[in-house]
Amino acid sequence: MDLIFWFFAFMAVSAGLLTITAKDPLPCALSLMSVFIAFSGLYLHLHAPLMAIFQVTIYAGAILVLVLFVMMLLTTPGERLKSIQKNVPFRIMGAQLGLCLTALLGFGMKGISDLVVQARLPDGFGHPSSFGTLFFKDYLLHFEVASVLLLVALVGSIYLGKKSL
Amino acid sequence: MPDWKIAIIKVVFIWCWTLIVAVIMTWVERRGAAMIQDRLGPNRAGPFGLLQPLADGIKLFTKEDIVPARAQKYLFTLGPVMFALPAFSAYAVMPFGDKITLGGKEIILQISDVSIGILYVVALGSIAVYGMIIGGWSSNNKFSILGGLRSTAQLISYEVPWGLAILAAVMLYGTFSMREVSLAQQGTFLGFLPNWGIFKQPLGFILFIVAAYCEANRVPFDLPEAESEIVAGYHTAYGSMRLGLYLFGEYINLYTLSAIIVTLYFGSWHLPYVDMSTFLGPISYGIATFLVFFLKVAFFLWLFVWVRWTVPRFRYDQVMGLGWKTLIPIGLFNLFITALFIQLSI
Repeated sequence: MDLIFWFFAFMAVSAGLLTITAKDPLPCALSLMSVFIAFSGLYLHLHAPLMAIFQVTIYAGAILVLVLFVMMLLTTPGERLKSIQKNVPFRIMGAQLGLCLTALLGFGMKGISDLVVQARLPDGFGHPSSFGTLFFKDYLLHFEVASVLLLVALVGSIYLGKKSL
Repeated sequence: MPDWKIAIIKVVFIWCWTLIVAVIMTWVERRGAAMIQDRLGPNRAGPFGLLQPLADGIKLFTKEDIVPARAQKYLFTLGPVMFALPAFSAYAVMPFGDKITLGGKEIILQISDVSIGILYVVALGSIAVYGMIIGGWSSNNKFSILGGLRSTAQLISYEVPWGLAILAAVMLYGTFSMREVSLAQQGTFLGFLPNWGIFKQPLGFILFIVAAYCEANRVPFDLPEAESEIVAGYHTAYGSMRLGLYLFGEYINLYTLSAIIVTLYFGSWHLPYVDMSTFLGPISYGIATFLVFFLKVAFFLWLFVWVRWTVPRFRYDQVMGLGWKTLIPIGLFNLFITALFIQLSI
């Protein structure tokens, strides 16, 4: 029994449930933040401190704050997200996606016996320098491809946002 | 003494020290403001008004705790806690001196020397905005929401130049550990300058300090609580000790930011040209490094007060324009120059 894992796993799942059931937008966003923090705890537990910090800084600290900014611009406290919740096509699409995800999780269960294998970590595992070496030597191409993808998204959003270029 | 006892002593010590500094800072702020505005300031409670923070504390604690009727109660309670918690946690990785040798055992004056220290502080800085968002949203009035809205926009804009300045410093030192950064600043640079970060990263330092003022919501960047426009911003509806926690968190934030500035750019505990470890005993060396570090931090704490009562507040569009159109390009340029120098010197 790995108590730390179960603690953070329980926290992530319960906060995730709260995220989709909360009626007010801000508690919803705060539970999403709890999910991110639980993930970061799991990464720390897996000896990946750098990933844990990135999880908090980028997801909880930047992306979620941006989402909150938009939310605070468009809604007021106490306002319920009725229009989205009552939208039947959205619900049908959500149900389909949920089914697919459950099926994927079911397939993933086949590998559950691998979870208990004790692996020996190489020296310096999780240290920023070893992470950097892997990142800029072995996976540089993947990183560059991802950055080009982000650039395309950026150009696209500017094109959509501007009425005349 | 076992290691865990030493760790507990260090945690309790730095906790108390931070609290004391924050309390004294409220006094320094008011007396400093009075000095700059050519008036007396609080001078009745105790010598030079030094007991004023105590009186303020008693007042805040004994005031009636009011929660507005339309506020969301749980979030309203959570707000100040979420603001003060990250501010306190940042001290886990901050050095406050070199080391002290007691009974043949070397104790580093830092709670924990983790390999991701600087990133940890950045992460906590980005979490701190939630306190303002929750406070602004749960108070359920227009001014508070505007304050929360401004704080989110400001944080997102200034986190980028802040990160770019830190990135350039990290490239220079080649480590994320705060202790290794401090140790790397010993000796001289080019033969006549102290080997401090500011001489190698002058542009980075300016970027960092501007963004730090924004992170701390201090004048000229105190848009979230601009009293002439939106009453008191995100803490308009707060009173008693809940407000006290917000104000207290701000001073602890100032202390943390000053300590990062000193660690990254002002040689941490090193004195220029003098190596204290050569002529001081093991215990007095520890105390001396602690004092040197704190004196440097105290200067930057004073600078925060000084700037607050000297510079007028920016307009909102000026803040955004400065962040995106000036600081980020300068940050990228600084990064490029730093990378070029590192490549050329190796």
